[in-house]
Amino acid sequence: MQSAPDFKTRLQVWLPKLVLSPSIAMVLVFVYGFILFTVYLSFTDSRILPSYGWVGWENYSKLFRLSHWEIAITNMAIFALLYMVICTVIGLALAIFLDQKIRGEGALRPIYLYPMALSFIVTGTAWKWILDPGIGIENTMHSLGWESFAFDWIKNREYALYTVVLAAVWQTSGFVMAMFLAGLRGIDNEILKAAQMDGASNWNLYRRIIIPQLRPAFLSAFVILAHLAIKTYDLVIALTGGGPGRATELPATFMYSYTFTRNQMGIGAASATIMLMTIAAIMVPYLYAELREKR
Amino acid sequence: MARAVTTNRKALNTAIAWIIGLLIFFPILWTILTSFKTEAQAINDPPIFLFFDWTLENYSIVQERSNYMKFLWNSVFLAGGSTILGLIIAVPAAWSMAFVPSKRTKDILLWMLSTKMLPAVGVLYPIYLGFIQLGLLDSRVGLVIVLMLINLPIIVWMLYTYFKEIPGEILEAARMDGATLKEELLYILTPMAIPGIASTMLLNFILAWNEAFWTLNLTAVNAAPLTAFIASYSSPEGLFFAKLSAASTMAIAPILILGWFSQKQLVRGLTFGAVK
Repeated sequence: MQSAPDFKTRLQVWLPKLVLSPSIAMVLVFVYGFILFTVYLSFTDSRILPSYGWVGWENYSKLFRLSHWEIAITNMAIFALLYMVICTVIGLALAIFLDQKIRGEGALRPIYLYPMALSFIVTGTAWKWILDPGIGIENTMHSLGWESFAFDWIKNREYALYTVVLAAVWQTSGFVMAMFLAGLRGIDNEILKAAQMDGASNWNLYRRIIIPQLRPAFLSAFVILAHLAIKTYDLVIALTGGGPGRATELPATFMYSYTFTRNQMGIGAASATIMLMTIAAIMVPYLYAELREKR
Repeated sequence: MARAVTTNRKALNTAIAWIIGLLIFFPILWTILTSFKTEAQAINDPPIFLFFDWTLENYSIVQERSNYMKFLWNSVFLAGGSTILGLIIAVPAAWSMAFVPSKRTKDILLWMLSTKMLPAVGVLYPIYLGFIQLGLLDSRVGLVIVLMLINLPIIVWMLYTYFKEIPGEILEAARMDGATLKEELLYILTPMAIPGIASTMLLNFILAWNEAFWTLNLTAVNAAPLTAFIASYSSPEGLFFAKLSAASTMAIAPILILGWFSQKQLVRGLTFGAVK
């Protein structure tokens, strides 16, 4: 009976590692293994099917000569900048506002969060109605007597991208609010009371004490908004399908159309690789800082 | 932050907060209202808010024409299946990290979580090609696996944070009393872990229910859930807003109800723990 307890102790030591390994292995293969495969494809002459002829940087140089891709990344830059700035401003304003002892806050929070919790493929239905000049806001304003009101952005090449920004801001602002609200609630009351005793005005209280203390919340909001912006896909699919023309084309929709409708897998893989690298460039420093902080 | 706020000021703030809430809720409310209108009323000029002839005909038409129940069943199957499969793999992993932590536990967690931020397009090719090879395109089993894999890091991480909240003293006390690993799991950990597991299930169900990228790209007819159904409905049917709204309302109803009860878990999961 010597081996029985031995086996048991060994099991006690190995079991935790054993049950952890499937998850680690899955993430390792599924995420990193598959990403490596995508990166590899971007250096091959794959078209409709993967092919393993090495072509070096050719797909990348082709990609950056495509006006289609140039439109997609220009749109992405405009979209991401507006989306991140507006969401942060609205989210912070809402959080400060909701922190003023609002009655029924418990019921309001899920309402503010609903846009994020619902699939935009589905909520896009109402947005199509709102943005359609023939029946939505424009038409409503006309029937209320404001004849000169014009809001036909979704049909306008110049402005269609801003409708995507509008819907994206609607979807995420309440969620950013929740992040800032949690940050506000975490601030030490004593400091605030002391500052108030010293006669600090509300404005100064926020500017000098509260907002600087929200630094971690700003940082997480930035990282989360940035990666959401780069991943944006269903908003465009549901609202505009990339149109009118290519006015709302973004990298994710570009990648899809180059692979599945134009059968240019190599170029599609190159665009996916660039999106991955962009997100990694934002994420890695953030994670590094987080890890160092926790040590 | 407790600051002195006058009663008037408070009433005004409350009113503004609710008006903003209504504005945010408007697109959802409008979808629900439109689903009870006739097609003509749905695009009426001027728009009708409440005083229309409420009708259920859109719901029956959507069901007749498109076999809505099949898409609903697919959504339930995909969200439920991927959640259960994910839990089976994640619970032991989270248990291991929470109760037998090693030096690298924090790194592993953060590393796992970080993968959730990477864009889906980065893994689209291998999965798409693998699906073709294995004949999994447009199959429910294939999608359950993919949805489980994309949400696995979130499930592991969320379970970990909940398990971490279980006080270690209880375990130590049980071990002192000579409880075996089996007894420890069965009588102490399981009852205390159930609320956390339930919250994780809820969040993951919602995430999988909403998933659009994979369901749109990997399904056609057989395995298509509600998101794919709505996306397809909006194109050929053109501007049939009342019917589209009916289909949309049915797709969001479960989440509206689940979301109401799980908002804390939702924020916690969606912010990768930035908000507890």
